[in-house]
Amino acid sequence: MIPLEHYLVVSAMLFSLGLLGVLTRKNAVNVLMSIELIFNSANINLVAFSRFVSADFSGQIFAVFVIVIAASEAAVALAIVLSLYRIMRSVNLDEASVLRG
Amino acid sequence: MEELTFQIIFYVFAALVVGSAALVVLGPNLVHSAFALLATFFGVAVFYVLLGADFLAGAQVLIYVGGILVLLLFGVMLTHRIYGVALRTETIQFWPGMAVSVAVLATLIGIIYTTPWRQMGFAAVEGPTTASIGELFMNEYILPFEAASVLLLMALMGAAMIVRRRSDL
Amino acid sequence: MPSLGTLASLKYFLPELTLVLTLLVVVAIDIALRGREDRRLGVILIALAGLVMAGVFTLMLTEAPQGGLFSRMLVLDQFGLLLRFLFILTAILVLLLSVPSRELAGVNQGEFFALLLGVTVSMMWMANSVNLLMIYLALEMVSVGSYIMVGYLKTERLSNEASLKYILFGAVSTGTMLYGLSLLFGLTGTLDLYGIRSALMNETTLAQAGPALLFTVILVFAGIGFKTAAVPFHFWCPDVYTGAPTPVTAFLSVGPKVAGFAVLVRFFFGGMGQPVGDGSWQIVGSVNWQALLIGVSVATMTLGNVAALLQTNLKRLLAYSSIAHAGYILMGAAVLSDEGIQAMLAYMVIYLFMNLGAFLVVMVVYDRLGSFDVKDYGGIWKRSPTLTIAMGIFLLSLMGIPPFAGFLAKFYVFAAVIRAGLAWFAVIGVLNSAVAVFYYMKVLKAMVIEEGTTDDTSRFVLHPVYAGLLVVMLVPNVVGLVLWGYLDQITEYSMKILETL
Repeated sequence: MIPLEHYLVVSAMLFSLGLLGVLTRKNAVNVLMSIELIFNSANINLVAFSRFVSADFSGQIFAVFVIVIAASEAAVALAIVLSLYRIMRSVNLDEASVLRG
Repeated sequence: MEELTFQIIFYVFAALVVGSAALVVLGPNLVHSAFALLATFFGVAVFYVLLGADFLAGAQVLIYVGGILVLLLFGVMLTHRIYGVALRTETIQFWPGMAVSVAVLATLIGIIYTTPWRQMGFAAVEGPTTASIGELFMNEYILPFEAASVLLLMALMGAAMIVRRRSDL
Repeated sequence: MPSLGTLASLKYFLPELTLVLTLLVVVAIDIALRGREDRRLGVILIALAGLVMAGVFTLMLTEAPQGGLFSRMLVLDQFGLLLRFLFILTAILVLLLSVPSRELAGVNQGEFFALLLGVTVSMMWMANSVNLLMIYLALEMVSVGSYIMVGYLKTERLSNEASLKYILFGAVSTGTMLYGLSLLFGLTGTLDLYGIRSALMNETTLAQAGPALLFTVILVFAGIGFKTAAVPFHFWCPDVYTGAPTPVTAFLSVGPKVAGFAVLVRFFFGGMGQPVGDGSWQIVGSVNWQALLIGVSVATMTLGNVAALLQTNLKRLLAYSSIAHAGYILMGAAVLSDEGIQAMLAYMVIYLFMNLGAFLVVMVVYDRLGSFDVKDYGGIWKRSPTLTIAMGIFLLSLMGIPPFAGFLAKFYVFAAVIRAGLAWFAVIGVLNSAVAVFYYMKVLKAMVIEEGTTDDTSRFVLHPVYAGLLVVMLVPNVVGLVLWGYLDQITEYSMKILETL
């Protein structure tokens, strides 16, 4: 069968790609997509470990909850993005962000 | 022969998952990125099937592809002019981010291959997992199950409140 | 007492059940009273009633036997009780704080209170969870609720920007934490914190897996550091605190932060450590965890204090100040002993009253003058001596100057550090407190000595709720030092986390 490490390497790559997206992308929706990549990478880990390391389904259950949490966060995030878009559309977009770092 | 089939499936979908994720993160076109994310989600669902988690694979497709991705597409379409919302004062350039990402990947791969993972072997349960997961939800994991419903209520209320136009509701 | 199953656990679950029920009733009443005059009042009263009842139920829990609840998802122990009570108290105070608030005047408060109740319940779960799944779920519930509350003023650009930054930064941090939790699951094969501890202690292979454990804990710390606003996961804090409506900022600075520290204690001490018998704890793994914690603590308090010196916006200044205070609380964690946990708890109790008090004054001034800028704080002494004296007390307490309670808080932490043999660490803390004096005094100086920027010299008239809250916040600051015996008793009782299940 496919060894555990193979799955872990794929998820590690997903995690790193997600991290890269978060660090380098400027568009809020794009950052959100990268965050979903991170969640998925953790989920692959959980399911793979559940299969190979633990004697029960706890990893899979955790993964279901992660999907639920990711869904609610995505919904709230997009609501906020939309709300901000509504306001900024009537404001000059090239203006620097009002909040400094 | 079967062994080889599984291996081929794994490698093909691993390439799909990583390749489309790269497109999500590096691609210039936002709509292309959204559809690449679709491919990633499907690929991950295939992994779940390979790992024997059939319920999870179904949930992944239903919720991630059918829900979250649709939401993201709406977000992309409705805000395709939103850009430049700076997340920090100094805009982080591409190469430092790449350096961090590569460093993290290298560390993780090192950890993956040097850690002696305790393995129970592939003697785990074969067959449909839905019934077992359902039982677990109602017995050991009932508290998080109910707590998640409170979470969904808060998220629903909150998202609806933020987005609706009438402020007197 | 071994772990209880679902039905048996319910009777120990009354505080949380009450809060969830109150949440539902608040939402229902909010809809039912739509358009009516008494909508606001009805919602406020119901929320308050629910919180008070939950507080009473929490007090009743002190009689309960300790052990696991809901199949080892939660735990009922002395540590968790004080925290439950603290969260309920925080919610009541913030609720009252937001009633007269000018910022929240035009928006629907029913949903706001529902969110506040939801976040409070989730904080209680955060502080009592002993299963990785439950910890993560509760943490995300607190976060999602907070994201919405920060963006509540959806017509204000600042509020929206703040909540966008908050949710993006937060989702990345908690996502990273989740990856770390998944690795921890892989290393130990279980999600149960006590099971993880036995696995980490008994397996010699895991002693060989040193780097894996270190990296995993760092990843998990991303989430914990985010919630407590510790360096280097503090970047969201100033912007979010500045942009959010001030009652929400006040809440964030005392609620989720304390819950984050509770998770830190449970995860680190309960999940990875073992009490050695003389009060100190030994953490598994060959890594020098103490050095790590000390490093984070020093970085956090120093960055917080130094950056605060440059701020002119009161909310931003208090944001950096709260980062610094998180650094002091981390000192208590770094000593790896029961005393340290006790010091953390004492600090968090006192910090609640100091910080909320300061934010209360900021809100009163904003409601009257419409500004958060230090230079507009001039001349307040003439317009409201009471307010200036109150702010003076809060600031002196935050500085750690006796005879106010803030001094007691710092004393606890420094004493624990010195008794652990790390006197140089305490010196750094003292130096940091000295630096902090400068920016707190800047505010006080503006209020007392400098001239106002407006020509209006009328007296401040305090809204009765504000006045009442002012008294409630002042009393602990003023008599805290005198009543240190009680605080000592309570925190000594509460520093015990349940060791085995």
